[in-house]
Amino acid sequence: MTRILVPLAVLEGESVSAGLTALLEPMYVTVLGYHVLPEQTPPDQARDQYGERATDALEDLATEFGAAEGTADYRLVFTHDREQTFDRIAAETRSEVYAIPGATGPIDRLLVALTGDVAVERIVSFVGELVGDREIGVTLFLATDDEPAGRELLETAAVPLAARGIDVGTELAADRPPLEALVDAAVDHDAVVMGERAPSLLTLVFGEDAERVAAESVGPVLVVRNVDEVDEDPDQDPDDRTANTEES
Amino acid sequence: MDEPSHEGTNIEGESPRVEQTVETEEVTITDDAELERTLGLSGGLAIGIGTMIGAGIFVFPGLAAGQAGPAAAASFAIGAVVALLVALPASELATAMPKSGGGYYFISRGLGTLAGAVVGLSLWFGLVFATAFYLVGFGYYAVDTLAELGVAVGEGLVIPLALLFGAAFTVLNVTGTENAAKLQNGIVALLLSILVVFLGYGGLDAAGLVGEPTAPEQFAPFGAVPVMTTAALVFTSYLGFAQVATVAGEMKDPGRNLPLAMVGSVLIVGVLYVATIFVATSAFGSEQLAGFGETAMVEVGRHYLGAVGAFAIVFGGLLATMSSANASVLSTSRAIYAVSKDALLPRGASRINLRYGTPHVALGMAGGPILVLTATGRVELLAEVASFLHLIMYGLICVALIALRRDEPEWYDPDFRVPGYPIVPAIGAVASFALIGFMQPTSQLVGVGIMIATAGWYFYYARDVDLKGAL
Repeated sequence: MTRILVPLAVLEGESVSAGLTALLEPMYVTVLGYHVLPEQTPPDQARDQYGERATDALEDLATEFGAAEGTADYRLVFTHDREQTFDRIAAETRSEVYAIPGATGPIDRLLVALTGDVAVERIVSFVGELVGDREIGVTLFLATDDEPAGRELLETAAVPLAARGIDVGTELAADRPPLEALVDAAVDHDAVVMGERAPSLLTLVFGEDAERVAAESVGPVLVVRNVDEVDEDPDQDPDDRTANTEES
Repeated sequence: MDEPSHEGTNIEGESPRVEQTVETEEVTITDDAELERTLGLSGGLAIGIGTMIGAGIFVFPGLAAGQAGPAAAASFAIGAVVALLVALPASELATAMPKSGGGYYFISRGLGTLAGAVVGLSLWFGLVFATAFYLVGFGYYAVDTLAELGVAVGEGLVIPLALLFGAAFTVLNVTGTENAAKLQNGIVALLLSILVVFLGYGGLDAAGLVGEPTAPEQFAPFGAVPVMTTAALVFTSYLGFAQVATVAGEMKDPGRNLPLAMVGSVLIVGVLYVATIFVATSAFGSEQLAGFGETAMVEVGRHYLGAVGAFAIVFGGLLATMSSANASVLSTSRAIYAVSKDALLPRGASRINLRYGTPHVALGMAGGPILVLTATGRVELLAEVASFLHLIMYGLICVALIALRRDEPEWYDPDFRVPGYPIVPAIGAVASFALIGFMQPTSQLVGVGIMIATAGWYFYYARDVDLKGAL
């Protein structure tokens, strides 16, 4: 089963909407409660003061995601560097997908973006697993300058989903700024699924695509991580890594 | 693994908060959370070098040359050797106990609560004295900067400017949430480039000028004793490596990076200091240098590179003293946290405020005394007391290492072991304590007074707290 990492700035009151909880219900979820500290503050000092409060909140969240059935756990990290923590936890838990929690009601339709150099097959297979036999519709979306090739890609991608009995639609945006088109398309959907792209100069300036989509569309965004990162085996003792995951 | 045992409570009924942790290269795992290690080798070096360089290069050359002549270079070399002799044992202890608090932590675990309390609280004051010293140095550079820009304000403004910026640093550290660590790395890189260009050029020039007008000066015109007293004075230029240990808990791959950052920063600044004195005393006679005072290096810069050189040094001095002051404000607050966590100070001292997530109480306990001391404006006294209190800690770090090694507890498992044990730590301890003997009597009195006061506090407040590891 695919594991989904849900990073939450718990001490800043970040939480998950009921819609996202329901959407992720069949998956294995690791809630990553994190707190970013200014360099003046040793992480240990913050843990002394806030550790208990954060743990309480995380236990509740993990329960909502199904901790009692063993399909959810949580990690709590105090850090100076958010990205470093995300990458480490994602690698350690082998999470193939991470979620940017947004605000949404019940999720009826997903927008799945296949634009650019992303692992289309992995994204599609994840969506199939996520939707399962639930009444959730899927729109495959692609922004491209090459319309015929794009249409072919969308149709090929739709086949395995349709075969599972999922209501699949396609949407092609030609000759438009991909991100803008995606955000426009997201209006009629409750959540977005997209692939992670290698960081470029643009992402350094404007932030990651997924975060921009999340900010503009308000709803949750699920990001399928780059596969080579997931396969990377952190050279650590597995006992150290999982010290916290068996709780709750 | 058996962590040291801890029990007992202070006068308010608080006991040390110590729990089992698992340390990996990237993270410290406690029973309920993970603490990310985010500081790399360059970050560690930047803390060490950034703290040290301001004093040794930009404030001391004039003062030191006045006291010891060209042999001031030897004084700096002696300081480097002593610092190195302590940095090696400190590295071993830091890799065995990569925790916030640095020297205090090693000594309280290795030698017990009384020694720990004296060192921990003295370290707080030592850092306060050091920061005040950096701030006064900064004040001189600020006035010189204004002078270079054509605004002659006179030395009367040195202290007010130092106070203003001291207060500003404290406030910024309480309210600032953006990451200044990257900035610090950049500043240190910039400073090193300025210095390498300047020292390279000055060194070539000085070598080419052999036999030129500057009357060939005797190497140690005042004899050997001033070389030693000067070494004691300028030792403040080597305090930064122990600051690296105060952030040991946040260092990535501590087994590798801590020794490299501590030993590396001492070696780098040691070489720079000796080269600086050589270049400075080649440009001017030592008496003339002494006459230029705290900002003598500006005149040296002017001598070699004209107005550009003077400006580069003024600008560098401003940055360097600022980064020294800022880095030690941060270390002070971590030192206070370490003792308060162990119930040697009221727990309230380590409170974090909700609004900014910063330890405002500890920062205030650093900033307040710093301003009072800055107001005295006594550069040499501030520097020597800072060195005194640090040297006590350094000596005891070596003693703690020997005590731990003689009967290694089960939990003692350092990644780095000091070469030449037991000679190196033994000489390190003797040398640290000996250097104190060469300080001015006033500094020694103030230092001893502070230590007696901290011991008194221990007996009043935390007599029952037991921190000693299972030896």
